[in-house]
Amino acid sequence: MADRVFAGAILVIALLYTYIAFTVIKAPFQYDPLGPESWPKLLGIVASLCAIYLIARPDVERLKADLGTLGRLALVVVMLLAYGRLFEPLGFLVSTWVFCTAFGIMLGAAPLKAFAFGAVTGTVGYFACTRLLELNLPAGLLNHIL
Amino acid sequence: MDAVISGLSAGFAVALQPFNLSLVLIGCFAGTLIGALPGIGPINGVAILLPIAYGLGLPPESALILLAGIYYGAEYGGRISSILLNVPGDAGAVMTTLDGNPLAKRGEAGRALSLSAVASFFGGTFAVVLMSLSGPALASYAVTFSPSDYVALMVFAFASLASLVGSNSVKTLLAAVMGLMLASIGIDANTGVARYTFGIPDILAGIDFLVVVIGLFGMAELLHLVEQQVTGKLKPLALDKSFVSMKDLAFTKWTILRGSVIGFFIGILPGTGASVASAVAYGTEKRVAPNSENFGKGDLRGLAAPESANNAAAGGAMVPMLTLGIPGSGTTAILLGALLLFNVTPGPLMFEQRPEIAWGLIASMYIGNVALLVINLPLVGLFARLLTIPQQYLTPLIAVLAFIGVYSVVSNPHDLYMITLLGVFGWILRKLDFSLAPVILGFVLGGLFEDNLRRALSISGGDWSILVNSGNAIMLYVLAAVVVVVPIWLGRRKKKVVEA
Repeated sequence: MADRVFAGAILVIALLYTYIAFTVIKAPFQYDPLGPESWPKLLGIVASLCAIYLIARPDVERLKADLGTLGRLALVVVMLLAYGRLFEPLGFLVSTWVFCTAFGIMLGAAPLKAFAFGAVTGTVGYFACTRLLELNLPAGLLNHIL
Repeated sequence: MDAVISGLSAGFAVALQPFNLSLVLIGCFAGTLIGALPGIGPINGVAILLPIAYGLGLPPESALILLAGIYYGAEYGGRISSILLNVPGDAGAVMTTLDGNPLAKRGEAGRALSLSAVASFFGGTFAVVLMSLSGPALASYAVTFSPSDYVALMVFAFASLASLVGSNSVKTLLAAVMGLMLASIGIDANTGVARYTFGIPDILAGIDFLVVVIGLFGMAELLHLVEQQVTGKLKPLALDKSFVSMKDLAFTKWTILRGSVIGFFIGILPGTGASVASAVAYGTEKRVAPNSENFGKGDLRGLAAPESANNAAAGGAMVPMLTLGIPGSGTTAILLGALLLFNVTPGPLMFEQRPEIAWGLIASMYIGNVALLVINLPLVGLFARLLTIPQQYLTPLIAVLAFIGVYSVVSNPHDLYMITLLGVFGWILRKLDFSLAPVILGFVLGGLFEDNLRRALSISGGDWSILVNSGNAIMLYVLAAVVVVVPIWLGRRKKKVVEA
């Protein structure tokens, strides 16, 4: 079933992709015999055929993940999105501190330990990357101090 | 032969520069660390560290030397978590768990680790020697390839991918096509027509390679680790004082040699890397070895075969990448993408035009293999201790590294969402038994495949028969048919034997 749902979604995307290849993509001049549209046409058709085959003959029944696990994974995804959202405004040091603390606690670390772990990762990570390796990371909140 | 010697000496001149030499050592050390971490294999390790290596602003040969060091360092390190923890870092290390973990359970972890280090060293070195001997010849042959020959080569690459990688060839094919479709997004270089950009300016130049790699391999792996951590099945075995003896080495010497040969040649096949090589080596060894009833219960040969094979395959997979521009495995696809980031086009001309990269890399692999053996024999206890790092600290670090990498190169906060979403997509693919390596192979090869097809048909003025007009092309189509048909035929025959 899981296979069928996924293959169905891929089929919709592939058909849309093929449709666009046949209708929208056009070069103003004929540069080469194939032009920009033939390759996507070919890919779209192959992808659609594969997806149809998988709908007809799926081999994975279920996702094999219970609701609790899925919930935790959803929480991780939310945390990652929040980390991405706060990365620039808060800066690397603070956002990493917060993220590592929260993630560590979620995975079962003692809150104080997770807090210390976050602090070390944020601070050491920031200075190692910006000073030692000369990588570009946002300073954010601490712009004036760092 | 002269070309090989002069090339190698030039290569060693590059690799032995103090800066590059230290990069080899750092790469090997970091690679072993990453490989030893439970659940993280070479492909994830290289994917997570690639943007950081790119962001350092190193010259291309130095960056590649560093990344390659991480790559085969992780192939070495993978055996540590396989043996002590029974958790393979990636598909290439699965076979190592079969006999390695029972040995460790018997209290012979030290013996298993040191034997597999020697097997890895032999496999890796064997592959580099064959690479230096065959690389230039293959490159000068490939210079004669016409666009239509390249199309045939791609067809062969995708045929061997679909036939040999993963459990379901339709899924592998679909994964590769998804990669090709992702690669078709952006402005078509030949005509300037925008394809599938939907007016979004961020993707006019195409989807960023680093974002795809980090998302599909780094972030998907992170989700996978969280899932495993929840179900809680990680408990490392203790490392003891036992060590490999000369008798063990004498006992396994032919196994190691066979494993290396099998690994190298399977590694060369486009698209099929260490996972297929180690599985075939293990299967072959089980079939040809006398009194093989102990396989799976801690037989030394069952450990030596896949370990020599997966390291030889790691080297073998570099050969088509360097000489043809067609990666031999998922990880080399990432390395190929890295070269493209540096505006270096891998392929037959690289040995002539950028010898410092091609030969510098090969020379660094000789040094790296020796360094890895030296690091791995005495320091294995240090790496084994990594297995005791609690997952709750390890997992967040992967996310932090991925974010640092993407941000420091692209500096676009939207890409931080992109990698998370691609991670979810990659996790779903993995759950549904798709392999991820074909996606990245398709993504890297997409432009090359289309360009050569269009160039070939431009030459012929639209006549499709040009695709089968040369001896090279026909030979490659025949090979493609062979890799598809032979496994099916073998499968049928096996079934018949079982039924009879």
